[in-house]
Amino acid sequence: MASTGAPDTIVVPDTVEELLGDDDVELERPWIVLVWNDPVNLMSYVVFVFQKLFGYSREKATRLMLQVHREGKAVVANGTREKCEADVARLHAHGLWATMQRDD
Amino acid sequence: MDRRRFRRLRDGRLAMQLHTAEATLLAHLADELTELLETPDPNDPAIDRLFPRAYLDPTEEEAEQSFSALVAPDLLRARLDALRALVATVRPLADGPGSDAIHTVELDAEAEAQWLAVLNDARLALGTRLGVSDDRDEIELDPDDPLVHAFQVYDWLTYLQGELVEVLLGELPDVDDDDA
Repeated sequence: MASTGAPDTIVVPDTVEELLGDDDVELERPWIVLVWNDPVNLMSYVVFVFQKLFGYSREKATRLMLQVHREGKAVVANGTREKCEADVARLHAHGLWATMQRDD
Repeated sequence: MDRRRFRRLRDGRLAMQLHTAEATLLAHLADELTELLETPDPNDPAIDRLFPRAYLDPTEEEAEQSFSALVAPDLLRARLDALRALVATVRPLADGPGSDAIHTVELDAEAEAQWLAVLNDARLALGTRLGVSDDRDEIELDPDDPLVHAFQVYDWLTYLQGELVEVLLGELPDVDDDDA
């Protein structure tokens, strides 16, 4: 799936400080994709989706699924905002309860 | 006759056994889900579950709005396409002769993914409306409660999806993780 992120508005900076300022730091701060526990999705199905969408091994996909099940959530992917939005969209299309946030 | 529910054919398609009553039930559930998606009630928790927010952080509301505007229409269209495809397959079996017949449905790769999606979407919608929880076993219903039937349908969908997922999981290639 192509990136589903909205194209960023292009703003020409007025000053060098602005050019090198918070925006660049902002862009580099990574995002994480969380999957939350829900009582409906089958454990086997969640493992299948993690393997299919992210190419994870059975072992890693199972470990993440169990973390979601036992701890309520797990980080299943990370990257730029655009990549994470695409991952969240794919997870939603597969019926998983996924959200994204900055990795603080 | 092979009685396995799902069987991979040599040409790559997936053969599935369906009783007439099961085809009838699937057609009915798909119709209900289609109606739920086409005329959504904003207060229906099933809609929130099928189209969750991407951002929980309220300061990301602008990003949430653009994400939703981009993703939700495609997601809705894919879900309706999948429902239409499933109904086109099961409706002739449901309405056809032989109320006690077992039919074999053959699914190509696209149809297979659509069936898996519909089964999961139907369970999400039904499970959310029924308030299914992890403590499911603690729910005790009077045998005359109309919800008994809804829970039976939910359990049947769970069984069917579980069988399908077992087949698909067994076919996934074994890979190593880069970070292992």
